[in-house]
This record gives sequence, structure tokens and C-alpha cells, in this order.
Amino acid sequence: MELNVHSKQSNTADRLLLLSIVSILLIGVVMVYSASSIWAEYKFNDPFFFAKRQILFAGIGVVLMMVVSNIPYFQWLQYRKVIFIICFILLVAVLIPGIGMVRGGARSWIGVGAFSIQPAEFMKLGMILFLSGYLVKYQSYIKEFKKGFLPPLSFIIFLFLLIMLQPDLGTGMVFVLTCFLLLFIAGARLVHFGFLAGFGVIGFLFLIISAPYRMNRITAFLDPWQDPLGNGFQIIQSLYAIGPGGLFGVGFGNSLQKYFYLPEPHNDFIFAIIAEELGFIGATFVILLFFLFIWRGIITALHAPDLFARLLAVGIVGMIAIQVMINISVVIGLIPVTGITLPFLSYGGSSLTLTLCSVGILINISKYRKYY
Amino acid sequence: MKRVTNMTVQKRIVTVFLFAFIVIGIIIIRLGYVQFVWSDFLMEQAQALWSRDIVFEPERGKIVDKHGEVLAENVSAPTVMVVPRQVSNPEETASALSKVLGMSYQDALDNVTKNERIVIMQPEGRKISEDKAVAVQALNLDGVYVAEDSKRHYPFGSYLSHVLGFSGIDNQGLTGLELSYDEELSGTPGSLSFYSDAKGKRMDQMADEYKPPVDGYDLQLTIDSKVQTIIERELDIATAKYNPDGAIAIAVNPNDGSVLGMSSRPNFNPSNYQEIDAEVYNRNLPIWSTFEPGSTFKIMTLSAALEENVVNLREDEFVDNGSIEVGGAHLHCWKSGGHGHQTYLEVVQNSCNPGFISLGQKLGKEKLFSYIESFGFGTKTGIDLQGEANGILFNLENVGPVELATTSFGQGVSVTPIQQVMAVSAAVNGGYLYEPYVADALLDPVSGEVVEKTEPTMKRQVISKSTSEKVRDALEHVVALGTGRSAYVEGYRVGGKTGTAQKVGKDGRYMENNYVVSFIGVAPANDPEIVVYVAIDNPKDTIQFGGVVAAPIVGNVIHDSLVAMDIPKQDGGVEKLYQWPDTPMVEVPDLIGLEREELRHYLVSLQVDVLGDGDYIIDQAPEAGEKVAEGSKVRIVLGDK
Repeated sequence: MELNVHSKQSNTADRLLLLSIVSILLIGVVMVYSASSIWAEYKFNDPFFFAKRQILFAGIGVVLMMVVSNIPYFQWLQYRKVIFIICFILLVAVLIPGIGMVRGGARSWIGVGAFSIQPAEFMKLGMILFLSGYLVKYQSYIKEFKKGFLPPLSFIIFLFLLIMLQPDLGTGMVFVLTCFLLLFIAGARLVHFGFLAGFGVIGFLFLIISAPYRMNRITAFLDPWQDPLGNGFQIIQSLYAIGPGGLFGVGFGNSLQKYFYLPEPHNDFIFAIIAEELGFIGATFVILLFFLFIWRGIITALHAPDLFARLLAVGIVGMIAIQVMINISVVIGLIPVTGITLPFLSYGGSSLTLTLCSVGILINISKYRKYY
Repeated sequence: MKRVTNMTVQKRIVTVFLFAFIVIGIIIIRLGYVQFVWSDFLMEQAQALWSRDIVFEPERGKIVDKHGEVLAENVSAPTVMVVPRQVSNPEETASALSKVLGMSYQDALDNVTKNERIVIMQPEGRKISEDKAVAVQALNLDGVYVAEDSKRHYPFGSYLSHVLGFSGIDNQGLTGLELSYDEELSGTPGSLSFYSDAKGKRMDQMADEYKPPVDGYDLQLTIDSKVQTIIERELDIATAKYNPDGAIAIAVNPNDGSVLGMSSRPNFNPSNYQEIDAEVYNRNLPIWSTFEPGSTFKIMTLSAALEENVVNLREDEFVDNGSIEVGGAHLHCWKSGGHGHQTYLEVVQNSCNPGFISLGQKLGKEKLFSYIESFGFGTKTGIDLQGEANGILFNLENVGPVELATTSFGQGVSVTPIQQVMAVSAAVNGGYLYEPYVADALLDPVSGEVVEKTEPTMKRQVISKSTSEKVRDALEHVVALGTGRSAYVEGYRVGGKTGTAQKVGKDGRYMENNYVVSFIGVAPANDPEIVVYVAIDNPKDTIQFGGVVAAPIVGNVIHDSLVAMDIPKQDGGVEKLYQWPDTPMVEVPDLIGLEREELRHYLVSLQVDVLGDGDYIIDQAPEAGEKVAEGSKVRIVLGDK
């Protein structure tokens, strides 16, 4: 299928898609305030410290989202290689001591203070653009292993290993899964994925052997009370927030776990505070908003005018959806702790603005939807 | 080249969407599981994590006697605590505290710098005196607190020590009543719970939860402190006089089994129990020790014989030649030469062994042993104190003529003092065997109202009322006219029976010159209010005979106790000596040259006054052959041959 460069913007943006994004974003700002206020007051003597910044980032993000949503998606096809190369340079640069900063045991950040970014985050979007374009170009070979499947696969694994040099397993996983999703949508053969699964198991084992702390994280998730002050600590503290939440929650602002029990409650574990304060109803509402986002994103992909738009849409929705599912699963104790933020909700400038930029592309695609 | 159709892409997108749908479903189910099914457990755990409890100790209940006299109470004994994070200068604080509390500087410094929220200055700073507490407060140190605390105080010291027991530094009962009624005395601790953040700071928005402590109940005993005081005094005197290996005294009310007094020697002071040998405070001799009862056991044989109608005390007669042949063995009477011709009442008065053997033979082993068991021997009485023993009886299958004979006069069986007291109580109270008890009631510590009252437990009727009356009469004769005359109390009708039992040594044989001398007394004999048992283990410098050593003690206890209990004096009992129809004058035997040990065989009807030291009698007054009234004193001089 050739790229339909003559597609015309035929519609306004998908309203439900916009509604889901705006709703989640608003809840995010409010909950970042609630979850972070105690920490903020303790560390910076200002309960609004994180909230103010989150509002600023959200504002910047929304402006960027609006700008991007007005850029016709097919423009990205042109610039994908440039964007990818910039992302790649950053991803390599972050590994160089003196340029990349170490936070939480991983050299993942570039920049100064609050204006630092995670190149791996950028690479996720860069790769979606690049891979979508690549797959449009070479879709005819996709069912062939050597010509179609192996080249993008090798490249994906190469980039993944680069991310793992930081190391950042969480982002690396989201990156790989998003790329595989694109390969799958593009039509790669299931047999090849079977081969990939076998390869994945071997790689997984290799990762565990190379850094045994990962194995401890896995056992900790199976029985967090085995090591309540070590590997099980975060899961236990998260469950102590969620459990007492019950149906209606303890009420907005009334979380007890945010009082230094749950470490940095406005980051990776913000969903636990939502479940504690707003209960099953509030937490499920947030999940359903995400579901609404995924649903409208998928509709956008299905109704997209061409394969590039389709892959781009699925890639962006997939990237966000995978991150949401992994994050919430970690918080409720379904899978081991991986260290992934919750899109739109977790505190964090670069990831929030970047997510909103990605969503801007998705919104733009939704304007070109076609009905068959 | 295989083309990928647009349809394939669409299908795969839908597949991926369905997959996401399922994952989100699983996430919601799991969320519901955590928030509904698991929430109670998590809530409980989380609350334990959030809340900090300040414990408020309840006051331990007092122990009082039947008239409300306090036997165990609490006195203020403050404890010094340190909150290390609030200490501004650890070195100075440690040095100041170490001086006041008398602990080493290093220990004090370790406590003051411990990485804990609150540290108790163990052990020197625990339960300190008021003076020290004031001194610590005067130091005015940051982070040092003097908390109210209490310790147990026993106002009478070693008084009733084995029964009361004692409690440890955490006010937990360790022995005696303090242990057996620990739950009732302890009460329930209260607490002030407040929620705190992970840095230990109190969270203001959560309401504090206060649960007041519930003080323990006061424990009222059946012990009459007046009777107990008399018993303690008499045992102190006996201990000073005879330097025995041990001594036991029990007083009970025979009509309900309530214990009026109980003591033993050696005893101890509960306030310094750490320095006492555990064997001393763990062994409450009146219920723990077992020994051959000797002649006091004859009351059981007598009761059985009367109940079974095998003897008429006044009409049937028995001739004692000094020994009796049983199963080929010669069993001697304690009096060499025997008591001669006697009625069975005189057999009882004289405590004549062959006479009692004949009663046992008349009963037969089945009947005698069934009465012994029925009187409660061989099983614990069930008293509400810890460490009671069973005692040992012959297995009925192994009882031959000799065993039957010795059992009849109290040898070859092993019993506890409390068993004897309860059995004799049954024999004299109309035949009812009661379970002895010490704790009478639990009282509300504030209102003093009775919360729980012990009801007397009657186990069974062993003998009939009329038999019991005959037993009382016989026992009154023993005191008025027989071997128990030293227990006679002017103005009260006292019944009783002596006992002198050989002790079995470690080698399983009877020990030489080593007896448990005892006396059990009942008063008033017509309507008993008190049964008193005294046993002295191996008294020194005296003739080891129950009638000599133990009977006067019981007499004193009974007299003083009855007066203290406001039991009126009465007439009409069997009068001592002069009412006896034909009072025989006693011929003073020739004692010179005898071994001191042989003396007991001669002097049942005479009292002795011993002078000097030694194993042989070297002089006596009056001289041999002189006739004196029964009960007169014979002076003897001891020396080495």
C-alpha cells in the first residue's frame, strides 16, 4: 500500500480521545498535588512544590500537543530519520560519564536539574516514527525472515541493549514491546514471534544472571513479606495504601501512606495513592479513562487513511497502553517492580511533555479518519 | 512476495485491542481483590504500621485476708526512660544519670545513644525509690523522663510467703497465688494510640484512641491473718527451740475446707526472692511434702472401724503384750512391754499399735483401703495452689497381712499434710470430705464488691454423722487423758491425735534418730471450728515424740485462734486427768543408762525435762520406783557413757 500523501484533513479531532486525555491529565495534576504535598513540604517547605511544576509541565505539554496535533502526520515521514538520529546521539551520549547523570543507580539523564531529559524516552517515540516509516517501505518483505523480519529485529535489539547499558529495564521493556507490536501489526509471521519468544526467554535469563538483584525483585513480588524491608518494601507499602482504600477510598487528601511510608508517592506509585484516597471506584474510573483512550486510539488506527498513520497510531497508543498496564500491574502486585512511570499521572516533566507530544500526533491522525 | 493485506493489519489491530481489554479486566479484578478480599488483612497490618501505642499499665490487684487485712499491695516505684533523639548532650546526660542511678557510665551512654524511640534505663533505672526519682527529675535533662511505675510490696515480709508467692519486675506472678491468680490480679493494660508518619511524627489529623487500663481484681483469701500470725509465731518459736529440718503448720475450717492459716519453715521474704534458693520458694511444704504420717493416721483406721461397726470403743477390749505377730513377723508397740488390758477407747488414748492392728484386721484390707481412698489419700486434694503432691499408698494387690497391719497405724503409706488435714476434717465434721481452698473471692478494686466467690466443694460423705461424733469423742479423750495431753486447752474442748513417724532415708531404709513429729488437733470437739496440724521435721535436743513437741504447739495455736475467732469458752468436755475414774499413779521407770532414743518408749504418761547434752541418760529425778501422778515431770540428765 502506497502512502496516501494526498489525504486531506476531513474531520475535527476525535472528541472522546481528547476527553480521555484531558480528564486523565487533570486527575494527574490534582493527584500529584495530593500525593506529593507531604514530601514537598518536608523537602522544600512548600506543599505545592511538585504540583506547581507538574502544572507548568502539563501546560507546556498541552501547548506542544496542540502544536503537534496541527502538524500533518505525514510530515513526520520526512523527518523521521533526522529525529531518530538525534535520539540515537542522545542515547549514546547519556552513557558518557560527565554528560549523562546517574539517578537511582542508572545513568539515564541528560541536562540540568529540572530541565533534564531521559533520552530513552525520546528514543521510544523516535523509534516509533522511524520503524513505522521503515515498515511502510519494506512491508512487502515482512513475512520473510531474513529480508523482512531479521533486519528490524536486530536493530531493535541493538537499541534495547544500548538502553540496558544505562541500565533502564523498564523503559527498555516498553521500547521492545512497542517495537514488536509494530512488527506484529505490520504483518510479521507468528512463527517468527515464536522464535522471538524463545530468544526472549534466553535474554531474560541472561539479564537475571548478569544482575541478580532482578531475581530478588521477582521473588519479592511473589511474597513481599519475605523481605519486608528490602525487595518487598515498595510492594508492601503500595498494598498498605490500596487495601485500606476499599470501595470509596479514605477521601481526597487523606492518604496515610503518603506520609513517608510509600517512597516518592507522586512518581511510580501514584496509582496506589489514587486507590487509597479515591477507592476502588476512583481507581477503576482512572483505569476506564485509560481504556477509553486506548479504545479511541485503536479506532483512530483502524480508521487511519494509510499504513504509516495506522502504524504510528498503534505505536503511540501501544507505547502508552503498555506503560499503563505495566505500571498499574506493579502497583497492585501483579508483576515484579520494574520502575516505569504512569503516563499522564506520574510526576515528571520530560516524560509528561513527551507523552503529550506523542498524543498530539495521534490527535492529528484522528483528524484524517476515514469511514469505510 | 507475499503481500500483507489491509485486512490482516485491521485484524491484528483488533486482536491487540482485545488483548488490552483482557489485561485491563485482569487488572480491575486484581484491584477489587486487593481492596475488598485482602483489605482487612492489609488494613490491620497498615494500622499496626501507622499507630504508635503508649502503654498504660493497670494496677495489680491487692491480696487481702478474710477480714480485709492487706497481705500484698503495690508501692510507687518510678522508672527512668530516655528518648535518645531528644537528648542534647549524650555524654553529659549519661554521666549525670550514671551517678544518680549508680550504673556504669558506659551502660548509661549505651542506653542514651541507642537507636530506639524510647529506652528504659535497665536495670538500675527501673523501679527506683522516690528519692532517686526526685534526684533524676532535679537534673532536668532533655529527653530524660521519669515514668510512674509500681512494684509489689508484702507488708508482712516472709509471712504466708509460700501461699502468696511473689511477682517479678514486670508485675507478673511467678509463684504461689500471685501465679495461680495472675490473670485475675493483672488486669488489662490500656493504651493511647496515635497515628504517626514514617518519620515518627504524630499525624494531627487522625484522632488519638485512648483505651483506659483495667485494674486487676483484689483477691480475698480464706486466710485469717490473726490465725496466720499465731501460726507464724509458734513456728518461729519451735524453730528457735528445736532447730528442726523443717516445720509445717496448717489450720482449716473443717466445715467448708477453707484454709485459715498455712505456713512452713524454711520460709523466705518475697521482696528478695532473687537471693533465695528456688527449692525453698517452689516447695510449699504443707502441700508438696510427703511422709509417713504415723499415728495421726490411726484416726482413719478408727473412723473406718466405727463406721463398719467392727468395734465398740467402751465395751470391746484388747490386751497388748507389747507386740503382735502378723504374718510371721513381730510388730512391736511403741511402748515396750505393752499397754496391757485396755478398752478400745484406751487403745486410742494410748495410741496402742497392736490395738490398731487388730482393728485393721477386723476391717480387712479391702475395707480399710477403700476408706483410706475415700478420705482422699493417694490423690491431690485439689487446693488452689500450685505444686501439690499425690502421696503413695500400697497397691491393694500387694497388701499382705504385714502391710495391712502397718497401714493400720500409719506406716508404709505416704501422705501430704493437707491430705491429712482434710481427711481428719472429714472425720470430725460429720463425715464430709471438702476440697481445701485459699482464694475466697475476687473483689472489684474500686467498689470492693464481690465479683466472684468461691463456693466450698464437698466431695463426698465418707462416714456417718454418728460415727463422726464417736471419733470426736475418742479424740477428745486422747487430749484429755491420753498421749495428746500437752494439747489440752483450759476452757475449750480439744480433740486430737499425736503422730511420730520415721523418715525414709535416701537408701530406702528408715533413718535412725530422725522423726517427723506431728499433732493434729480439733476444736471445739463437740462442734469443730478449726482443725490444726503441726509437723516438726527432726527436732533437735528433745525427745522426738509428737505428744512432746507438736501437741503443745497445736494447743497454743488452738487456744489463741479460738480466742481470736471469738469462739466462746465452754464447759462439759472430758476433763483432764481428774475426771478419769481410776487414775493410776505411774511408777517412774529406771531410766539411767538408757540411750536417749529409747526414752520415747517409756515416757508416754510422763513429761520430761532434759538437762545436758549426750546420748545416754546419766541421772534422773524422781528416782526409779517412785509413784507420781500421770503427766508429772521427770527430770533427766544426759551425758556420754
